[in-house]
Amino acid sequence: MRLIIRRITDKAFTCLTGTSIVLLTLVLVIILGPMVWRGAKAVIFKDTIEFRKMQLDLYNRGSSEDLNTEIAEAKNVRAVVYEIINKFKHGIDTEELIDKSKQIYRQFGKELRYKGITSEEYQKIRSLARDLRDRLQAAFESNDKKIIKENIDYVLQYRRNEYFVDTTAAEFFTLAEDFYKTIENIDLNKRQEYAASLQQIEEVIFQLLGPKPDEPLPALTMERYGATRWDLAVKLLDKLLWSQQWIQKEAGQPLVKIRFSRAEEFAGTKLESLFGYINNNFDKMLKPEFRFYWQYFIDDSTPGHYFGGVGPEILGTLLLTLLAMLFVFPLGVISAAYLVECASDNIAVRIIRMCINTLAGVPSIVFGLFGLAFFILFFIPLFGGPSKPCVLAASLTLAVLTLPVMIRASEEAIRSVPQAYKEASLGLGASRFSTLVKVTLPAALPGILTGLILSLSRVAGETAPILFTGAVALGPLPKSLFDPTRTLSYGSYDIAVGDRLAMLVPHQQYGMVVTLVLLILCLNALAIILRAKVFRKLKGG
Amino acid sequence: MLAKGREKMLMQKGNIKMLISALQTLQDKKETNALSTVEMKDKNNKVAEEENKKCNCAVVEARNFGFYYGSTMGVKNITMEVHPCSVTAIIGPSGCGKSTFLRSINRINDLIPHIRTEGVMMVNGHNVYDKNTNLVNLRQQVGMVFQEPNPFAKSIFDNVAYGPRLQGINIRSKLQQIVEESLKGAALWDEVKDDLKKSALALSGGQQQRLCIARALATKPDILLMDEPCSALDPIATGKIEDLIDKLQRDYTIVIVTHNMQQAARVSERTAFFCLGELIEYDSTAKIFRNPSKKQTEDYVTGRFG
Repeated sequence: MRLIIRRITDKAFTCLTGTSIVLLTLVLVIILGPMVWRGAKAVIFKDTIEFRKMQLDLYNRGSSEDLNTEIAEAKNVRAVVYEIINKFKHGIDTEELIDKSKQIYRQFGKELRYKGITSEEYQKIRSLARDLRDRLQAAFESNDKKIIKENIDYVLQYRRNEYFVDTTAAEFFTLAEDFYKTIENIDLNKRQEYAASLQQIEEVIFQLLGPKPDEPLPALTMERYGATRWDLAVKLLDKLLWSQQWIQKEAGQPLVKIRFSRAEEFAGTKLESLFGYINNNFDKMLKPEFRFYWQYFIDDSTPGHYFGGVGPEILGTLLLTLLAMLFVFPLGVISAAYLVECASDNIAVRIIRMCINTLAGVPSIVFGLFGLAFFILFFIPLFGGPSKPCVLAASLTLAVLTLPVMIRASEEAIRSVPQAYKEASLGLGASRFSTLVKVTLPAALPGILTGLILSLSRVAGETAPILFTGAVALGPLPKSLFDPTRTLSYGSYDIAVGDRLAMLVPHQQYGMVVTLVLLILCLNALAIILRAKVFRKLKGG
Repeated sequence: MLAKGREKMLMQKGNIKMLISALQTLQDKKETNALSTVEMKDKNNKVAEEENKKCNCAVVEARNFGFYYGSTMGVKNITMEVHPCSVTAIIGPSGCGKSTFLRSINRINDLIPHIRTEGVMMVNGHNVYDKNTNLVNLRQQVGMVFQEPNPFAKSIFDNVAYGPRLQGINIRSKLQQIVEESLKGAALWDEVKDDLKKSALALSGGQQQRLCIARALATKPDILLMDEPCSALDPIATGKIEDLIDKLQRDYTIVIVTHNMQQAARVSERTAFFCLGELIEYDSTAKIFRNPSKKQTEDYVTGRFG
């Protein structure tokens, strides 16, 4: 009976531990899985022709000849889009039409001045032209087809007028005729809606295809290219084909989101064909290709991390982390050695030990402010350095932040070195110092390295301490210890708080976070291999 | 001179006639007598010299020595002399202060906080608990082998060369010579000479303990302290270590703490019996084991203790 109970409890224990491990793994997968999945999209994705254009322009990658033929092909397909929009716009954009009529009127006035006519005649023609302009304006602004027809007819009766034939003013008549043709199929009451919708459509097309071929290149790099990624392009296409509106269906009910087909919205107009065309020729316009963008890890990025990779961020993170380790390793080991080997157990030492334990729990932002107040404003200027955020201050702050972890781990490691080792060394006539250096520390090295690994992981991912002491969102690689640097942690923070950008480049944000995780993993793996080597050496491998 | 003395003595004793008559024969005898006397004297001198070395000045000498861990007594009132170039065993039940006494000879007990001593512990004529004692020199004079084999996590060569290097010997050839001598001295050379670069921890327990002895020998000590050197070893390794102790006693003064009474009987010339922090009896090993003068000792060695 007893034996059975014992077996059952044994099994239950095994099950419990097994379950907890499975749970742990699941949690890890649930947390890390989606992040890694999204982060991987920063490297492995379907690119578009815009991406290849950008790569060629910014990083000089790929063959320009191949790309040019591709661009030419895409350009032909795209030209139709712009044509359709332009045609539709003539009939719809009141302000543009009014502007145009005003322009014609002004141009015509200038022309008249150099014609060599009497001032009386000039005044007469001029007022007639003004009359035509006002009539057109009235027609453009009106929603009543009757009034429009009246005005247009009024204008068109001057078509054969001798004053206007073969002058700039002749454009008045083409404008009038075009407008008349366009509005024939349009519900004029909807003109405002059309205009607003068209503006949206144009914006989406701009995001999709980049600036129009004949327009000058925008100043911002991020506006020079259309959708560089196929997933983004598909999203934009959806936005193009469907408009979303929040509508209250019944009084007292919350608003609901409803998708309207834009093709239906523009049914019967010249724009209707646009949606079908874009939908059918989407591939030809953007020419998607599968891409493994490994250069993500070495590329610099454009402002706001809109294009490019995380090369400088990786370098900066490595630099800060390794420098911090460089500071914290000797300091931590020496402090730990003092606490274990030299300090007697008095009140002062107890207070020191308590302080170290408390420091380990202080929020990192406090260390950031400390770094700003101490290192940047006091310590570095004390030695003649510049009083500004820099790599040195940031790594020193990180070192201070992780010092308690290092001290505690090293202390434990040194304490756990068998007394026999120390006795053997002392028994051979070694001084306490040489015993510490030659026997105790080498034997404690695996434990100390564990402390280093813990510190490393913490330091590499910290954002708050470097916020004020040496991280920037944008900037060149640091050329000396007195320059600020970009880091992965601060970069992802920056993208996240960069409001609009975070929505536009989710892959960048996740990519950066996953890169950080991978980087820490690699550093840890290196340290663990090192520790295993040391351990094997100690165990006599 | 001696021949002349003898002649004088004879002249005082015997009559002159006889002397004159026997002058010729005496002349012959005188030669032979003189020779034999010289030989005898020489031999006597040698013995005396050896006696001198063995008896005159104890290398380790404790006088009313007491050792306290805080308020707890470790040993007290110990007075004993350890004779040079011999093996002295310290036996006694657990917690009787054997190790405490041994470890106070080279002050390795200093690692423990709050300790206090009284009386005098002399090593080579100097009180080791004197304020001016140079611990480094003391510990180089007094080598120590511990209970558990505790080689450093270094190569065999580096283990043995550890002590000489501390003394500032850095010349490779010199170190090599010392390492070889020490390993030979510890009867380990033949087993490890081919892979001195191997980690010391890869050796077997007995080999490790002999390596620790070699390491202690490398600093050229006068005295070797052994704190139960065989307690972690199997009988074969123990046998090897005992042979080694036997060999070493020609050149070193050895003090060995052991729980194993047979071992004490086998390896030592003199034995000290400790009980409850006090020295009960200290005499030649034969006497302690065959004919102890104290009842306690007898009880202990015959296994009736407690």
